[in-house]
Amino acid sequence: MSGTGPREAIFPTRMNLTLTKGRLKGAQTGHSLLAKKRDALTTRFRQILAKVDEAKRLMGRVLQLASFSLAEVTYTAGDIGYQVQESVRKASYTVRAKQENVSGVVLPAFEGVKNKDGNDFNLTGLSRGGQQIQKCRDTYVKAVGTLVELASLQTAFTILDEVIRATNRRVNAIEHVVIPRLDNTIKYINSELDEMDREEFFRLKKVQGKKKRDADRTDSERAAANSEFTESGGEVHRDEGIKGGEAGGGDMLDQGKDEDVIF
Amino acid sequence: MDAGFLEGMVRGYKGGLLTQNNYHNLTQCDNLEDFRLQLSSTDYGNFLANEPLPLSTATIADRATEKLVAEFNYLRTNAVEPLATFMDYITYAYMIDNVVLLTLGTLHERDTHELLERCHPLGVFDTMPALCVATNVDELYHSVLVETPLAPYFRDCLSAQDLDDLNIEIIRNSLYKAYLEDFHSFCQTLPSPTNQVMSRILAFEADRRSLNITINSFGTELSKDQRAKLFPTIGRLYPEGNNALARAEDLDAVIAAVDHIAEYKTFFEKAGSGSYGNGGDEGESGNSLEDEFFKHDVELNKMSFLQQFQYAVFYSFVKLKEQEVRNLTWIAECIAQDARDRINDYIPC
Amino acid sequence: MTTTNPKDRTLIAVIGDEDSVTGLLLAGIGHVDNPQKKNFLIVDSKTSTSIIEGAFQDFTERKDIAILLINQHIAERIRPAVDRYQAAFPALLEIPSKEHPYDPAKDSVLKRVQKLRGD
Repeated sequence: MSGTGPREAIFPTRMNLTLTKGRLKGAQTGHSLLAKKRDALTTRFRQILAKVDEAKRLMGRVLQLASFSLAEVTYTAGDIGYQVQESVRKASYTVRAKQENVSGVVLPAFEGVKNKDGNDFNLTGLSRGGQQIQKCRDTYVKAVGTLVELASLQTAFTILDEVIRATNRRVNAIEHVVIPRLDNTIKYINSELDEMDREEFFRLKKVQGKKKRDADRTDSERAAANSEFTESGGEVHRDEGIKGGEAGGGDMLDQGKDEDVIF
Repeated sequence: MDAGFLEGMVRGYKGGLLTQNNYHNLTQCDNLEDFRLQLSSTDYGNFLANEPLPLSTATIADRATEKLVAEFNYLRTNAVEPLATFMDYITYAYMIDNVVLLTLGTLHERDTHELLERCHPLGVFDTMPALCVATNVDELYHSVLVETPLAPYFRDCLSAQDLDDLNIEIIRNSLYKAYLEDFHSFCQTLPSPTNQVMSRILAFEADRRSLNITINSFGTELSKDQRAKLFPTIGRLYPEGNNALARAEDLDAVIAAVDHIAEYKTFFEKAGSGSYGNGGDEGESGNSLEDEFFKHDVELNKMSFLQQFQYAVFYSFVKLKEQEVRNLTWIAECIAQDARDRINDYIPC
Repeated sequence: MTTTNPKDRTLIAVIGDEDSVTGLLLAGIGHVDNPQKKNFLIVDSKTSTSIIEGAFQDFTERKDIAILLINQHIAERIRPAVDRYQAAFPALLEIPSKEHPYDPAKDSVLKRVQKLRGD
């Protein structure tokens, strides 16, 4: 009943009842929409999970290959590390972010962009090891491609994870908090309104009872006056039409009840 | 010849190089600790004994190089003229690398002191730490580089301006060209058979560089004129082969240029012409051109031990030992990275 | 999520040992800004943990970096900071190095993946 569970702090009026019912309806629609969104995201999430797992393992192999090709370079050209570090000027391999929309969630997808002209290491290993360096570059470019792909998967993973959590929270909140609350409010308003109906009915009864008592008293006074009058030789004109009050349940409601219910 | 004792030493060192059997054992190792164990039964002894575990391939390479340097320095300290000068010439090649490294550091305004550690120990010279003092290129050129043994090479081919403008690789190769030519002419002053043996080795070195530079410069911003300036003016390809190389625009032209030298021609045939110019996708299947060069280099250097009473053995010893260090590093790398299928790609010497 | 537009992020940054960094730089990811601000850090056994942490902090806060690569064995050294890092940008990726083969069990993201797949 109205006492169980939390409810909105509003007056139990018919207008509020209509409003609350509308809100309940809205909440239910929202709930089912969000649940659908969650399902869509989760499906996507599962796909990505499988891919992340696979890509991470693939990356292990690709990078091993790449570092081995660097070993080949070291074999032929010696230690080129420092020279490479110092020749760095501008990134020739950059990433571009694309956006993909999954159920209203914007997922970024990175894409590696190889800039052909920005080539700082062209002449490294000119006299020896040039081919190996070129090969190593290509291997690493491929490896970075894998890494970029993995990074997009992982970002999507992180974002989706976050969004799914948020959606889940909302779905749960609507399901377990908002909807019961509105339900309770409606029940409360209904019960209050019923209560008011009954009180109103009782009040009317009470008024009726009082009226009847007054009528009785007037009747008996009049009867007394009449009998006095007849005794003294008068004639009484009786109104035979009204017998109401005699059969009414005035006394039924009158028993064992509080006296102070009239407001 | 005053160098009889040292020649004996160097032949002794040469005898200590790893044998095919040693290599075979090394390639069977499961991990780098086995590797160390196997090496301890060779001439290397316990050179890795004090290294903390786990061993890295870089450490192995460093220690092996140190051993080479120790042996070289022993020979150098005991050498008298003209062998001493000859041995100094050997170190100049490494000095070029070191100086280029330091120049690079100065150009980028790095703290060059930490670079000293990266320098090749054979190329260390007394005034090298002084290079770190220079803070800009101009200073480096005028006050410091002229003091180094490499000064003539710098003077001849570069101005202070060039240090700033030119690509560091062009500088390196210009220096190396000057060095090779100088070394060659020095060797001609030495009595036979040193001059013969050395000119054979240096000629190959020069040709190898010319070929490599040509092939590696395809598709780069290096102009043909610049390229031609980097070719050493010695070697079997000089002059007409070099001219042909200078004009070459693709691999076929290079092959045509070496057509008259049967040995070089076979390199290209063995290496398979398809594996160049396209990023070397087929490089895994066969030996690369670079490998063929290394092999020939090793052969030439081995041959120099066949003749007595000459200095070329010292040069050859350093080169063979260097190749051995490379082999060790390669095998160690293959073991560490679990690349068994490539482990036999070393070049035994 | 971040307020900046992911489209502004174009660089790949890396914290790794010399070999890993060299290889990646060869691929062309290196970028040095005018005041010698690099997008890579080379870590060796002598590099102190605070420097790594500083670089990690710096790279994760920069607005032009889309992906941050870090060698797994180095991530291991600053594990608390790495595990704490949850943001989507820049994407943090742990990569294996030459001497340290990839161990999926240590990867903070993969740990989450496996937890999620488990239930």
